Amino acid sequence: MKFDIDRYKEIIDTLARNRSRTLLTGFGIFWGIFMLLIMLGGGDGLKAILRQNFGGFASNTIITGSAPTSKPYGGFKRDRNWLMDNTDIEALKTIIPETDIVTMMDAEWGRQMSYGENTYSGILKGLSYEYAQVETPQMLHGRWINEVDCSQERKVCVLGKRVWENLFPEGDDPTGKYIMVMNTYFQVIGVDARTAGININGSPSQSVVIPYPLMDRLFNKGGKFDIICVTLKPDSDSESAQERIRSLLARRHTIAPDDKKAIMMLDTEKIFSIVDNLFKGVNILVILVGLGTLLAGAIGVSNIMMVTVKERTTEIGIRRAIGATPRMILSQIITESIGLTILAGMFGILFSVLILWGAGTIVSGLPDMDGPISFQISFWTGILVLLLLAALGVLAGLAPALRAMEIKPVDAMRDE
Amino acid sequence: MLIELKDVNKTYFGAQPLHVLKGINLDIDRGEFVSIMGASGSGKSTLLNILGILDNYDSGEYRIDGKLIWDLSEAKAAEYRNKMIGFIFQSYNLIGFKTAVENVELPLFYQGVNRHKRHEMAMEYLDRLGLKDWVGHYPNEMSGGQKQRVAIARALITKPDIILADEPTGALDSKTSVEIMELLKELNERDKLTIIVVTHESGVANYTNKIIHIKDGVIGEIEENRLHDSVTFSSDGALK
Repeated sequence: MKFDIDRYKEIIDTLARNRSRTLLTGFGIFWGIFMLLIMLGGGDGLKAILRQNFGGFASNTIITGSAPTSKPYGGFKRDRNWLMDNTDIEALKTIIPETDIVTMMDAEWGRQMSYGENTYSGILKGLSYEYAQVETPQMLHGRWINEVDCSQERKVCVLGKRVWENLFPEGDDPTGKYIMVMNTYFQVIGVDARTAGININGSPSQSVVIPYPLMDRLFNKGGKFDIICVTLKPDSDSESAQERIRSLLARRHTIAPDDKKAIMMLDTEKIFSIVDNLFKGVNILVILVGLGTLLAGAIGVSNIMMVTVKERTTEIGIRRAIGATPRMILSQIITESIGLTILAGMFGILFSVLILWGAGTIVSGLPDMDGPISFQISFWTGILVLLLLAALGVLAGLAPALRAMEIKPVDAMRDE
Repeated sequence: MLIELKDVNKTYFGAQPLHVLKGINLDIDRGEFVSIMGASGSGKSTLLNILGILDNYDSGEYRIDGKLIWDLSEAKAAEYRNKMIGFIFQSYNLIGFKTAVENVELPLFYQGVNRHKRHEMAMEYLDRLGLKDWVGHYPNEMSGGQKQRVAIARALITKPDIILADEPTGALDSKTSVEIMELLKELNERDKLTIIVVTHESGVANYTNKIIHIKDGVIGEIEENRLHDSVTFSSDGALK
C-alpha cells in the first residue's frame, strides 16, 4: 500500500468535486460533533458559573448558627434564645482537633451608611481577621482587616462592591476616606469585589466589614454572637466533626442533643459534593447524548456513502478496469470516509469553539459575574474528539467500502 | 502469438443456463489490427470481457504473450489489465469529475507513477491526439469525438500490449467515427499496436485488416481484409 501525497490529493479531489454529495454526507458528522462539544462546553461553563458562586469559600467549612430551641431540656422551656461567645470558640479549638480556623460572625442589617451626600442601606458585619481564610476576599482596592485592626479595635472598614458603587459612584479609590455608619466614622481600608457566593448573613457585596471587637463594643453585645464559622484541617471527616461540634455546643448551652433546630449547621463540603455529583451526572448525560448524535451522524455518513457507492458503480468499474485493485478501491472509500468525517468534524469543532467562545465572552461580561467564565472545551477534549472522528470514519466507511470492493470492472460497461 | 485462445467456453448460470462461448479458438499476433464482428447475442461482448481479463472463462486456455490467464486473483487481474491492456469503450467511460488530463493520468496513478511524471506523459499523449487545448476540460465540456480521443489517450498511456475497443464509434456520428477509425488505423500502422475492435457495424470492421466473425458462440469466418473492400458501401468513407 502506498501512502504518498497523491493518494490524498485523489481523495481531496473526489470530495471537492462532488461538493453537494460531500456536504450532505458531512452534515451529520458536523452536527454530531457540534452538539457534543456545545453540550460539553455548556456543561463546563455552567459548572464554572456555579463554582464561581461558591468561589473563594473554603470547601471544608462548617457554619454553625444559634436559633431558638425546639425542645425543652435541662429545665429550660422550648423556644429559648441562646447565643455563643468566645469561650465556645476556645472550646471548639481545643476539644475538636480537626478544627483549623474557628471564628465568629456578627451582623447588623439595614444600617444607613453615608459618604457625603451618598447613602446606602446595607449590612454591617463584624468579623475577625481570621475570617479571610473562610471566605477569601477579592480586594479591588486596599487591604482586608488584619490582626492589629482587631486587637486595637481600629475604626476601619472594608466596603462591599455594591456599597462602594453607591457611596463612591465615580468609581474612585476610597481608601483613606471616611464613611459614616450610625454616627460613627470609619476609615475605609479596602474594597472587596466579591459579589456572589454563599451568603452568610447577607451578600458580601452589600456589606461593610469592621473588626469584630469594635462591633461588639459599639453595639454592646457583651461578647455574644450567633454564628461561628469553622474550617477543618485537610482530609478530616466533616461528618464526624460536625456531630462533635453539635454535641459540644449542646452540652455547653444545655440544649437537647437531638435538637437539630437549635443548632443550625451547614457543611459546605456537602454542598460542593452535591454540585460536583450533579455535574458528573450532567456530563455523563451530555456524553451519552453527544455520542448518540455522533453515532447517528456516522450511520448517516455510512448510509449516504452506501448510496453513492451504488451511484458510482460506473466510476469504480472504470477504475477497476484500468488497473485499480480491490484493495485500492477499499482504501479509497475508507480514506474518503475518514477524510469526510474529519473535515466535517473539524468544521463542527471550529463552529462549536466559536460559539462557546462567544457564549463565554457574553456571560463573562454579565454584571453578576466576578471574573471570566470559560465555556471552552479543553485542547485534549478536542484531540480526543478528533481521534474519535477518525475511528468513526473507518466505521462508517467499512460497509460502503466492502460493497465498492464487490464491484466488478464489467459493471462499468453494464451500467449504461 | 500475442493472444492465444484454445477451446474457451463460458456459460452464464442464470435461471436458464446460457452457453455463450462454445469453444473459441483464436490466435492474434502482435501488431495485428483485427475486428470481432457479430450480432448482439453472438457472444462478442463476452469474448471481449474474457480478452480484457474482466471476466473468467469456464474451460479452455487463454494466454497473453504466453502467460496463462486463469484463476487470477483480483489484484493480479487488475495488474495485468493495467499493464497489458488498454480499454476503449463505446460510452468513453471517462470519470466525469476529472479533467481530460486527470482521466488520462489515472492508469499511471494506479501504477504508482509519481505525479509530475504522469502529468507530463498524459500531456504528451493528449498533445499527440490533438487535444492540447482541451487538457483542462471536463468530459461534459467536450464533443463525443474528443471524449473518445481522451479515452484512447488513457488506453495508450500505459503502453499496453493490446488495445481493446468495444464499439468505439457506437456513440459517434459518421464523420467522427471515420476520424476515430483512421486514428486507430494510424496507431496500428505507425506504432505497431495490436488493436482489437469489437463491433457489429461492418463499416467499422472494414477498417481493420482482419475481420473475425462470431456467431452463436463460435468463431465463423476469418476474413483477410488487407484491401479494405469487404464492405462496398463504406469504401467511400461513409460509415453509417
